[in-house]
Amino acid sequence: MIWETVRLALRSVRRNALRSFLTLLGIVIGVAAVIAMLTIGSGTTAKVKEDISKLGSNLLVVRAGRPAGRGPDQVVRPLEQKDLTALTEHLTGARAISPAAQKQVRVIYGTESITAGVTGTDSAFLIARDWTLASGRAFSDSEVRSGTGVCLIGETVRQQFFGAGDPEGEIIRVNRSSCKVIGLLAPKGYTGFGQDQDNVVMMPLAAFQRRVAGNRDIDNIYVAADDATPTSELLTRVEDILRDARKTPVDRESDFDIRDMTQIADTMASATTTMTGMLGAVAGVSLLVGGIGIMNIMLVSVTERTREIGIRLAIGAHEKHILIQFLVEATVLSLLGGIIGIALGLSLAGIASLTLSIPFAPSLAVVMLAVGFSALIGMVFGFFPALRGARLDPIDALRHE
Amino acid sequence: MAAPLISFDRVWKTYGEGEARVHALAGVDLAIPRGEFVAIMGPSGSGKSTSMNIIGCLDTPTAGTYSFMGVDAGRLDRNRRAQLRNLYVGFVFQGYNLLPRTTAAENVELPLIYRGAPAAERQRLAMQALAEVGLQGREHHTPAELSGGQQQRVAIARAIVTRPTLVVADEPTGNLDTARSHEIMELLTRLNQELGLTIVMVTHEADIAAYAQRTIRFLDGHVASDSKTLEAA
Repeated sequence: MIWETVRLALRSVRRNALRSFLTLLGIVIGVAAVIAMLTIGSGTTAKVKEDISKLGSNLLVVRAGRPAGRGPDQVVRPLEQKDLTALTEHLTGARAISPAAQKQVRVIYGTESITAGVTGTDSAFLIARDWTLASGRAFSDSEVRSGTGVCLIGETVRQQFFGAGDPEGEIIRVNRSSCKVIGLLAPKGYTGFGQDQDNVVMMPLAAFQRRVAGNRDIDNIYVAADDATPTSELLTRVEDILRDARKTPVDRESDFDIRDMTQIADTMASATTTMTGMLGAVAGVSLLVGGIGIMNIMLVSVTERTREIGIRLAIGAHEKHILIQFLVEATVLSLLGGIIGIALGLSLAGIASLTLSIPFAPSLAVVMLAVGFSALIGMVFGFFPALRGARLDPIDALRHE
Repeated sequence: MAAPLISFDRVWKTYGEGEARVHALAGVDLAIPRGEFVAIMGPSGSGKSTSMNIIGCLDTPTAGTYSFMGVDAGRLDRNRRAQLRNLYVGFVFQGYNLLPRTTAAENVELPLIYRGAPAAERQRLAMQALAEVGLQGREHHTPAELSGGQQQRVAIARAIVTRPTLVVADEPTGNLDTARSHEIMELLTRLNQELGLTIVMVTHEADIAAYAQRTIRFLDGHVASDSKTLEAA
């Protein structure tokens, strides 16, 4: 009986192919929008998390100046060597502590010249920021102490200067002072904001300060927590030590800012999740509109087929038979729209993930939900027209022209 | 004598309210025994269509008792009457009322679907019914591919496929030319005789009514005359 009814419904959908298609379109667009939004959204969330974890895991970043959004910056007292020393001497629970100063400068090799992000730091930087070496070695302690002209280069810099060749032992010029390449960094790729993380040169901090920056400032201090220490707890310890080292009075706010990258990652991920949810909800509204389209067309269908309903009632159909017939028809219609919508939505999400270079993250749960929801829409919006058909008086229905 | 198949006991049917009140049937008494072929005649508005609808269990009296096969059909709800129609009543309409774009065989199977008969049995019975009305070879034609007379034969096959006790025919020849009309009437007469089918037929035309064994004339909601047809007598 139910198979019979489904066949009947499919036949009726096929008979009015154009009308059925236009009705479906509402559901197709609605489901496609929801699927595309949710799939692209979860891809974006994954991408954001991945990007931030590329900066280093369980990482605190200390920089000079007041925390963002807490009153106007006064004259910024930069971070100094003694702040770093205080941390290395007193801080517990850290896996790595590393200073960094950065500048975009011209880097030259032979006749080639590029602009790269140059960082002055020490060998702990590689640990703190999760960098690994593709070849060569990190800075030795004596090189860091004396500020020797040695450097590590990123993959992009290598390709610009040396192609696929081995850069080790070559001399490049950073801001007119020469520097010997001792190692190649493993590639990290682009950030979500389109920044090339491999267009970098790293050198000992002292060398950077003397030859590139021309001052003794430290821009950031990176502190990586060990596995046993939560970053929030480490943050408090770092703040206490630095306030002490910088002799900040108790009643004054800190003149430095500590960012917890783990927390930022969580915040951004939850922000994208919220955004995804909202976009999904907006897309859901179009599904509702599609449902109203179904209701509309089912009312037309019931009116058009009043005589057919009359015949069926006269020869012994119960109310429920007519009700089921039209409910199944509405459900088949919206389910068909749902299936086409899923295919379309996933294709859109696939295209988006290729062009935006985010991971393609289709979720079975989302697809199942869309199927269920579109079937539900058919049933809900088909119910009223179907009931109207089922309640017809057979005599009136037979008289209907 | 056994209880009649159809019996009206002071049946009233009233439409409208207050001033606009119309009595389509005003206390009709009527009895039709099993196996009879009855023609109902009368001008429009005389109550013949209303009484036919009540006989076919499509409608219920406002007052009085309509019993069908000894059951007080007027007191049954919609779905019980639908079941009664499905089991015991076949319908033939003036406009054939076949489902468009649906083959003859599928049209004939329709009442069996609501009976829950399995597909194979439905097909067998539909073929048999179509053969009985002389439509072998046309089983897979749609109504649009059949002539008016053929469509009415499909409708008759649909009416008898369930082996009903009663067939209600509402001007079955109203849309047909004379030759076709007489063919259809001969078919109905044969079914009445061979299957012992009770037939209640509404018609305008005296020569069509002449096929029936009995003619009941309605006027203003009353039975004006009730007579055995001459040939039958």
